[in-house]
Parts: sequence; structure tokens; C-alpha cells
Amino acid sequence: MLKSSPAARRLLAGIVSSRRIGSPFSLLQLSTAAFDPASNPSTHQDQPPALPTPETSRSRENDGEAHRRSTGKREGVSYQEEQARVLRAALSHVPRLGWSETAMILGAKDAGISPSIVGSFPRKEAALVEFFMDDCLQKLIDRIDSDMELDKLILSDRLSKLTRTRLEMQAPYISKWPQALSIQAQPANLPTSFKQRAVMIDEIWHAARDQGSDVDWYVKRTVLGGIYSTSEVYMLTDHSPGFRDTWNFLEHRIKDAFDLQKTIQEATYLAEAVGAGLGNSMQGFMKRMFQK
Amino acid sequence: MARTTMMALLRRGTPKIPRCLPSILPRFLHSHATSFGFKQVQEDEKSKLVGGVFSSVASSYDLMNDMMSAGLHRLWKDRLVSKLHPFPGMKHLDVAGGTGDVAFRVLESITSVSDRALQEGLSGIEDETKIFVCDINPNMLNVGKKRAVEKGLGEDCSLHWVEGDAEALSFADGSMDGYTIAFGIRNVTHIEKVLSEAYRVLKRGGRFLCLELSHVELPVFKQIYDYYSFSIIPAMGEFLAGDRDSYQYLVESIRRFPNQETFARMILDAGFQKVEYENLVGGVVAIHSGLKL
Repeated sequence: MLKSSPAARRLLAGIVSSRRIGSPFSLLQLSTAAFDPASNPSTHQDQPPALPTPETSRSRENDGEAHRRSTGKREGVSYQEEQARVLRAALSHVPRLGWSETAMILGAKDAGISPSIVGSFPRKEAALVEFFMDDCLQKLIDRIDSDMELDKLILSDRLSKLTRTRLEMQAPYISKWPQALSIQAQPANLPTSFKQRAVMIDEIWHAARDQGSDVDWYVKRTVLGGIYSTSEVYMLTDHSPGFRDTWNFLEHRIKDAFDLQKTIQEATYLAEAVGAGLGNSMQGFMKRMFQK
Repeated sequence: MARTTMMALLRRGTPKIPRCLPSILPRFLHSHATSFGFKQVQEDEKSKLVGGVFSSVASSYDLMNDMMSAGLHRLWKDRLVSKLHPFPGMKHLDVAGGTGDVAFRVLESITSVSDRALQEGLSGIEDETKIFVCDINPNMLNVGKKRAVEKGLGEDCSLHWVEGDAEALSFADGSMDGYTIAFGIRNVTHIEKVLSEAYRVLKRGGRFLCLELSHVELPVFKQIYDYYSFSIIPAMGEFLAGDRDSYQYLVESIRRFPNQETFARMILDAGFQKVEYENLVGGVVAIHSGLKL
């Protein structure tokens, strides 16, 4: 896996999060094939228009770009920025009200904007949770860049410290975090939440500057992802001061993973040795057979 | 823009050829003449003619809506209000909503929502919900007031019935959280003026939502829809409401209205951001939404 600069990674993370809140383009089409009263209509993003007449589509292409660009600049403040401001203000209400629309409405009022803007978020509460996850990722990247002590630690300690840093960011919201997890687990929100977690785990591995190439890239991410999720869930019911028990749990799990890796390595060597030994005896046996 | 729409119409070969169609159209159609269905009329005449149409259909408006859309218009309005996402303490304006369909739904959504935890969270806030129903036609408003009484909302002080013109609203700048116009924007003389008025009365963060009959592009469905519009609906109008011409006007005005993309661009031009549209029933109806910031 090639190493990218922190600045490049931050840019990528920024792009990923900005696309999620709303399309950078002002014109976005959602179309439904048929309105079925029994089920919710599904909306698709970024689909081309269904069979426009050639003339209108051509003129649209030329004018549309200019219009999109001009109206964006004229306003000076884009709707993504305002939405981000509303969500940030809403976070302060979350410990009391949970990850709910009420928190978002109060956030909008704090930001001085009409609460109608809450209606413009595609998946209301999920937008708030996803904003928080992106925010934590940004903070994590900042902490990684400013931390000089990481190089002095061994790999397992580095991983432990980074994961702990990230989990600590959730501490103020821990009373409402089960709700956030359930929101993230909903089918509509699952793809985005999975992607956010994958990016975060990737970020941690990058920062750990792992030089080894003995285990597969995917296996590393999966294992760390599993450790992160179990520690996260453990933290939900941890009442020890400063979440001490969670950090112990985390360190033990990371150690277990490394021990398991060593065990697998040793098992591989053993299998090779046995195979070689067996092969030798087979060779000897065949030679004797054919010599006779 | 109007010229290209006209050319496109001619190319598509609509079944009903317009009765009087000047071969050379004025370049800026909206300056002096406008469309009333497929007829060209003077601007000041259009609002009178539309007024005439709605005065005559007011009493059977709801019945005809049900018959023409097979009851689907209720679901469309439900979808509009759920997209709006009303909240307690909201100031909402429903324009051209004479008989009150959308306003009742907004009110019911707010009062049902406030039974839940939302009320606890917002209990400290003293904002009063106000829903304004604005219509240019007093007959439609009277029908709406009667329906409110039937629903038991006659004494509700959140509903306000206002007679007014969508192109020159009597409300203050930045006073509304939400603005909806359902099946009304097709009938106005100047769409751009209505959009800029909507922009004016909305607060920062306020949303504009428009539910309107729009253009169908799907191949086979389009033919079925055209046949239904031009053959069945005027006949239904004659049979049920005794008024063939009004319903002929209705189906013609749908074809003359800009398509989804063009209308979305007009909304963008009025200053709105995050302009989107959602097609229902393959494009028979479209909900356009925009955000003011």
C-alpha cells in the first residue's frame, strides 16, 4: 500500500465528506420509476435525465454549467457550509436530546437559520451522526500530524494509542452513542457508515506506519476494524473512571491479535517443515522403490 | 426559451393542434403576451380568464381532482408535506392552496408530531405555529374555510385564510419558514415573479416546494398519458362538472408549462440553492424544492 502524504489524505477525507452532505452541484435529480403507495419511493442520485429532447439538453449543458457556477459564487455562502454549521451547533444538544431532529432544530435556531433547513437533509438523523464521524476523523488526522511521540512506540502500542484517541472523542456522547450505532446500522445508512469506518481504520494503519508486509492488507484492516468495534461496544457499558477498563480491554485485544499472528506464522513454519520432512521421506521411499 | 418549447411541442405532434398559433412568435414572449392553454392572450387578460376557470370549478374542484388522478393526488400532497418536514412553531405559507389540502396536512403533521418527544425538546420555545393559505380566488378560499369547519379546524387559530396574488404577496420579507405551491404555478402569468416573491418572503434556511403536473418522457407511458389527457379528461369535466372548456384549459396548460429541468433552472435563477426535483408516476407530477440561504 503506497504511503500518501497527510495533506493528500486530508484532502481526500474532505472530498468524501463534502459529497455526502450534498452534491457540489446545485442541480440534482431524483426520479422514481413509479409511485407505489405501499412502499417508500426510492430516489436515485446523479442519474442522467430520462430522454430529454436533443435541443433542450444541449442548451442545458451550456447554460446549466454557467448558471450553476454563477449562482454558487453570487451567494458567497454555500448551502453545504450552512448545513455544516447547523450540524455543528446541533452536536451541543445531543447529550441531552440524543441524535434526533429536535437536536437539529435547536441547532438551526442556535445558528440563526430557520429550522426548515432540517427538511433539506436527505436522511435527517443519519446526517448528524455522519457529520460527527467525519469531524472525529478530521480531529484524528490533526492529532496524528501534531503527535511527535508516535515513532518512539512499538507497533502494537501505536495502534492502541491511536484507537484510544479516536474512541475518547466519543466519550462526551457516550450516553447517546447506542442510538448513534443503531442509526448507523439502518440499511439506508449502512453503506455510508461502513465507508466512514473503513477510511478511519485505514487512517490509523497509515499513521502506525506499519512496515511489515507479512499479513494481507485487507486482513489488517478487518482485524483492526473488529477490535475497534468491540472496544466501542465495550465502552458503552464501561463505568470505570476515565474508561480505564476499555483501554485495558483494547490493549489486550491488540496483543491477542499480534499473538495470533505469531501463532499463525509459527504454524506455517511447522507445516512447511513437516511438509519438507514428509517430502524427503517420500522421495527416499520412491527412489528405493524404483531402484528395486 | 418559450420559443424552443413551442417548437418542441410542434415537433412532438400533439394530438390537439392549437387553435390559433402565430407562425412567428415574439422573441420575449412574456413581455406582452402569454399563454392560456394553447391560446395566446394578453397578459392582463390571463388572470381574468384563470379567475373565471377557478370560479366555475371551485365547487367541484375536489371531486374532479379525485376523478382525474384516481385519488393519487392525496398521496402526492402527502409526499409534498413529508418532504417539507414541518415543525412546531413554523410559519408556513401555502400559495394557490384555496381549498386547503396542503395546509390541513401541514397542520395535522405538526400537531401529531408535537405529541412526541419533539414537544419536550422544544417546550421552552414559545413560537406559535401559523399557516397561511393564500389564494387569488375568494370562491376557492370559501370552499377551504368550509372544509376546515367540517374537519373540526374551524376554531384553530393557526390557520389564516388570506386573499392575495402570488406575484405580489402581502407578507413581510423573510417571514416564512416554508413556502408551498401545489398545482398553482401553472396558472400564474409570470412564473419568475412568483419565484422571486417566494424568495423574498422566505427566511434564511427556508424551503420552497412546488408540486406540479409536469412532463412525461417515458416512451409508451407518454402516449397513454397524452391520450388520457386530451380525450378522457375534458369528457370527464363535461360529464361531472358540466364544464368542458376549463378542463381543456387544464390539460393544455400542463403541456405549455416548462419541463422539469427548465423549471429547476428558473428556481436557481431566483436565487435558491440546492434545487432538486423528484418525479412521481414517471413524470406526471414533479416536486421541485429549493433552499434559501
